[in-house]
Amino acid sequence: MTALLRIDDLALSYGAVPAVDGVSLEIEPGELRVILGANGAGKTTIIKAILGLKRPHRGTLRYNGEYDLASLKPHQIHGLGIAWVPEGRQLWHTMSVFDNIRMGAFESKDHAAVARRIDEMFARFPRLRERREQLAGSLSGGEQQMVAIARALVSGPRLLLMDEPSLGLAPLVVRDVFALTREINAMGIAILMVEQNARQALRVADAAYLLETGHIVDQGPAKEIAGRDSVKAVFLGGAA
Amino acid sequence: MMDLLLQQACNGLVIGSTYAVVALGFALAFSVLRVVHFAHPDIFMIGMFSGLVAANYWPALGLVTAILTGAAGAAAMGYFAERTIIGPLRGRDMLTTLIGTLGLSIVLQNGMALIVGPDPVAYPALIPAKFFDIGPVMLTLRQIVNLGLSVVLLGLVSLFVRFTKTGRATRAIAERPDVAAAFGVDVARICQITILFASGLAGVAAVSVGSLYGSASAFVGLLYGLKAFTCMLVAGNRHIEGVVAVAIGLGIVEALVTGYVSSSMKDAAAFVVLIGVLYVRPNGMFGSYAAT
Repeated sequence: MTALLRIDDLALSYGAVPAVDGVSLEIEPGELRVILGANGAGKTTIIKAILGLKRPHRGTLRYNGEYDLASLKPHQIHGLGIAWVPEGRQLWHTMSVFDNIRMGAFESKDHAAVARRIDEMFARFPRLRERREQLAGSLSGGEQQMVAIARALVSGPRLLLMDEPSLGLAPLVVRDVFALTREINAMGIAILMVEQNARQALRVADAAYLLETGHIVDQGPAKEIAGRDSVKAVFLGGAA
Repeated sequence: MMDLLLQQACNGLVIGSTYAVVALGFALAFSVLRVVHFAHPDIFMIGMFSGLVAANYWPALGLVTAILTGAAGAAAMGYFAERTIIGPLRGRDMLTTLIGTLGLSIVLQNGMALIVGPDPVAYPALIPAKFFDIGPVMLTLRQIVNLGLSVVLLGLVSLFVRFTKTGRATRAIAERPDVAAAFGVDVARICQITILFASGLAGVAAVSVGSLYGSASAFVGLLYGLKAFTCMLVAGNRHIEGVVAVAIGLGIVEALVTGYVSSSMKDAAAFVVLIGVLYVRPNGMFGSYAAT
């Protein structure tokens, strides 16, 4: 089976500072894979490279075996079925909940499908339906995360990129968010998640990568990774 | 005593409304494209002269044709600016585009001055010179048309930004450009449309202003540009409607200074206001998005 997304030897720098240096990873359709790493490891940089928001100076990103993501614009990449739940949610605070969700499928021509998905989102998240005309900036962190996820799902993506979905959220809400990712994955949507919360992420993932200052230092099935010392090393910055 | 105040307030409202249209174009370019589009007031000037040409060659077709020609001329020049300078420099430092548009501004001003001379030229009398007494205030037909046109244009912008899909996209780009792009917004195309729209508006306003003052000058963009830019800085870029309020306020302040102090001080009024407001509220009166 062709990998849904295959990244080979990705290298990206911010000016003279290398953020990612020789990262290779892949994800099959319907899988849930997680990239674990501490702050500054380069997780968000990888996500932005996939989305076309940052251009690598080395390496390839191949989608569905046929598309070279480094040569496409972000809106075209979205059109291929890749959606984003950004770090810190990044909703449009001056727009309503409804408008935020609707913007998730901005250039979609299939209005009926989008309308149906919006209804599905409101059915799945009744709290959002209550608040649909409220400005997104006035919602709680957990509610904003729901909006961010609904916004990403409304275009019917095949691959969901989730950047630290648990960041800044209360523990009970974090539990709900990870349960939600399992639910989304069960629908057949592949999820590539980057996270610092290794314990919870490894419970939902099929496979994991360990990222440390721009390099992948370990990878494997989630169950194996969960037991390794390298996980502790990445998060405590040294041999345990 | 009250009469002078009311009269000047009305005069100020008219002038302020035209500042508002130009400033709004500036603000759209700044918030959506993140550029200081220094050539925008000179695109206004191109619109003014396009309308003048139409009125002089086809006088029978009147004000509407002049306005449409003004809009078309300005929009064409705006499109040219976007394709040659603003578009290719997208993503670079804001200063780079500022200098690029500044260069275009100089070329347009001096180019036009080579054609028509550096002094003001007479603008065709597209609107008859009539006076109306409305209570204690006297307004000319030209002032009324100006005000009406400005209100229509501002209304159009508001409708566009709130209720059209492209308008929503401009707001999305203004607040979070990366997120907008990642959710399917073709940022380059929306930027082009925004510049075309802002330029067309400026063109309409320019013909109206030309008729109001009865003159056009190659350098009219200089002072209009500075004032419109000032309005944008004072208002902050969080709420685009703020620019309108500030521009009208500025017009009224200028008119009051003209009436109560002296007309030679009125241009200074804008900058005194700017310094005052930014001292108290550095992010502008209505706040700004964090600079990126």
